[in-house]
Amino acid sequence: MRMDRADKIGTGISAALHLGVIGWVLLGGQWFKPTPSDPIAISEVSVISEAEFAAMMAAAPAPAETEVTQPEAPSAEPVTAEAPEPEAVVTPEPEPEPLPEPDPVPEPQPDMTDLTTPPEPAEVVEVPPEMMPPVEIPQDTIAPEFSPRPVPKPAPRVAPTPAEAPEPDAQVSDLAQAETRPEESDEAEPIIKEPTQEAAPPEATTEIVTEATETEEVAKTSAPLSSPKPRTKPSRPAPAPAEPKPAAPAATQPAQTRDAVADALAEALAAEGGTGTGGSGRAPSGPPLTSGEKDALIVDVKRCWNVGALSSEALRTTVTVGVTMRPDGTPDIGSIRLLGSEGGSDAAARQAYEAGRRAIVRCGSDGFPLPGEKFDHWREIEIVFNPEKMRMR
Amino acid sequence: MTRDMSDRQITATAPALVMRGRPEIRYKCKTPMKGMRMMMRVLMAALAALILAPVASFAQNGPLRIEITDGVIEPLPYALPGFIAETGDAGGMAADITRVIGADLSGTGLFREIPQDAHIQRFGAFDTPVSYSDWTAINAQALIVGAVAMQGDKVVVKFRLFDVYSGQQLGDGQQLAASVGSWRRLAHKVADVIYSRITGESGYFDSRVVYVSESGPKNARQKRLAIMDYDGANIQYLTDSSTIVLAPRFSPNGDRVLYTTFETGFPRIKMLNVGNVSAQLLPEVPGTMTFAPRFSPDGGAIVYSMEQGGNTDLWKMGVNGGGAQRLTNSPSIETAPSYSPDGGRIVFESDRSGTQQLYIMSASGGEPTRISFGEGRYGTPVWSPRGDLIAFTKQHAGRFHIGVMRTDGSEERLLTASFLDEGPTWSPNGRVIMFTRESPGAAGGAQLYSVDISGRNLKAVNTGGAASDPAWSPLLP
Repeated sequence: MRMDRADKIGTGISAALHLGVIGWVLLGGQWFKPTPSDPIAISEVSVISEAEFAAMMAAAPAPAETEVTQPEAPSAEPVTAEAPEPEAVVTPEPEPEPLPEPDPVPEPQPDMTDLTTPPEPAEVVEVPPEMMPPVEIPQDTIAPEFSPRPVPKPAPRVAPTPAEAPEPDAQVSDLAQAETRPEESDEAEPIIKEPTQEAAPPEATTEIVTEATETEEVAKTSAPLSSPKPRTKPSRPAPAPAEPKPAAPAATQPAQTRDAVADALAEALAAEGGTGTGGSGRAPSGPPLTSGEKDALIVDVKRCWNVGALSSEALRTTVTVGVTMRPDGTPDIGSIRLLGSEGGSDAAARQAYEAGRRAIVRCGSDGFPLPGEKFDHWREIEIVFNPEKMRMR
Repeated sequence: MTRDMSDRQITATAPALVMRGRPEIRYKCKTPMKGMRMMMRVLMAALAALILAPVASFAQNGPLRIEITDGVIEPLPYALPGFIAETGDAGGMAADITRVIGADLSGTGLFREIPQDAHIQRFGAFDTPVSYSDWTAINAQALIVGAVAMQGDKVVVKFRLFDVYSGQQLGDGQQLAASVGSWRRLAHKVADVIYSRITGESGYFDSRVVYVSESGPKNARQKRLAIMDYDGANIQYLTDSSTIVLAPRFSPNGDRVLYTTFETGFPRIKMLNVGNVSAQLLPEVPGTMTFAPRFSPDGGAIVYSMEQGGNTDLWKMGVNGGGAQRLTNSPSIETAPSYSPDGGRIVFESDRSGTQQLYIMSASGGEPTRISFGEGRYGTPVWSPRGDLIAFTKQHAGRFHIGVMRTDGSEERLLTASFLDEGPTWSPNGRVIMFTRESPGAAGGAQLYSVDISGRNLKAVNTGGAASDPAWSPLLP
């Protein structure tokens, strides 16, 4: 049976409507989502009494001047100085000439200058802005401007080389553990004596840490605050002006440098000529102590030079102490003597000498690290104890 | 004779060669040719010096000379075996005296006591010879041997001090006697002698401190004057807490105390006799306020601040209240005066530059010289009894410091830092500073602290309760 035309139309309309409804169900939710309402903005206000408001108004400037400077503002409402009305200072209609908007809420003491002299509109000139040359900041490197001094940790001992506190002693565990034995072998292993360290060095710091330095706030950072601009290309160096010919060098100059070789040799020979007779026989033989050997001695002595108990006057006294050494590197204690002092009284020199003497005796008891073959050079030693640096630690 | 002459020649010529070569190295060469010649000459000179160096060293037959500029700062280890009881009833006293001596010495931070368990040699009698090797073995650098005997109501102490590393006695043996009640002073005296023999400066143990003892909550604090031994023992109260008292100051011989009282409702200066605890107000001009008094070093004059018509200046008067004399006359506030030990100058604080700074002027007045130039504000200067340093309170960046500087303002050194530190006072030997430290908050309180002038050994003084405004006495006779 054939569908007649009206049926076709009805079916078509029905299909279209169904499709429309299905489509709306599928897609309408996306398009016609209910929009969430905006959150209610609450701004804080302060409530003032009528009297306060009146007082504020009285203190406010008379807005009459504002009106005068506005050529097209309605001046219908007469303004009196006694009772300024807030309507008088309402922002005028937008004008072609933009004027600075007066504040709708009169402040107790507004700046009058802006109101009385409206700025002239700036004339726009259609000229492309000229590029300013980049500002050169003399920041050649990103090296920090200061190097943060490592803050020394407080310790009871101040020494040239800082040392950490030794590890705490091992604790005996509550849990028993099975003993482990090395596997016994038939051959008796040679006993290798391991080098033993005497003891952990006492904890030390390099300078006196007062409470003020200890708690100093470290606000500075060495991190660069800005990245440096790339350097501009160096400009071509200007051609050097022709170097003027040096004026005729002094006549004595060539004479001086005439023959350096001959000169030096002559002097050397002259000097050596005088030594033809040889040494006196009592002078030490062999090369003198190297600076490394001297440094080793200095390090050994300063390790024992304790100035902690010296009076402040003794800490201003430099003493020279003489000592005669034995070939095994130990000092002859009886020979230690004060050779001279500088900077303090006799009593202070005495204290400073005692501290130096203790340093020599204590650290020399095991022998100083001195090369035996150069004994002639260190048979007599003079040690200058200069506490200047220690005083300001 | 000729040999000696030749020796001298060598030593003279070798350095001369080097000296001649050296300045020419710095010479700017204008032409390459000349530069070459110059270089050649320098090289040759150096070569010649090298050839001669061994020769020159043959001539150096003086002693090897080294300079030590770095050392260590650490407490000097000492051994203090228990003092021997020479009479049967002296055992407890001997132990007590030994304990106080050890606490005095170790409390300075300059000495460290080696525990008695570590001692090898034991002393059965005062005259037992010292076996030095036993003491060097435990690294003792000083050894104190003593004995205590009771004779009636008297305590007799004798002691010897040994320098272990030189193997000899340091100074002579000494014997001191006192009544039983003063045994602590006796122990302090022994410690003073030992301290001065080792360090070379006088001790400070046999001294007292007068301070303001505080009690009650922060908003209703009750204050009264108290006096104690320097280590916090033997506290006695000098006034009751009926009125507020401030800033006590000892007279140079320690028999009188000046302080500021509010008993009339306004600050006024009062002088108190420590012996009989009687006090009287010093005369004043009506309608003024007087405060911040301090004795002159000879004890004959008092320097103080007087507020008159809103302006505060420094004044001076005789110790009996007569002969008031104006020392400063400026519209700014001048206060906290302190004499130099020779009595010739006065250091004080003034805000004449706009902020609180330290100034020094002649003791008779005149134009002051500003000495503090660091950041922050400086106040309450006190001249060291040794005369070399001035202690002060500094306020900077929200913190308070106690610091010291030389009398010309150089070598400023801050020793402490806290919420509130103030009011420094010097130990009699100028080595230690005691001050007030106040902790923040409603429950906070004031406490006395002491610190070595090197900034080491910062510690609280045990006063048993809140305390402020310490003033250290001179060494007791």
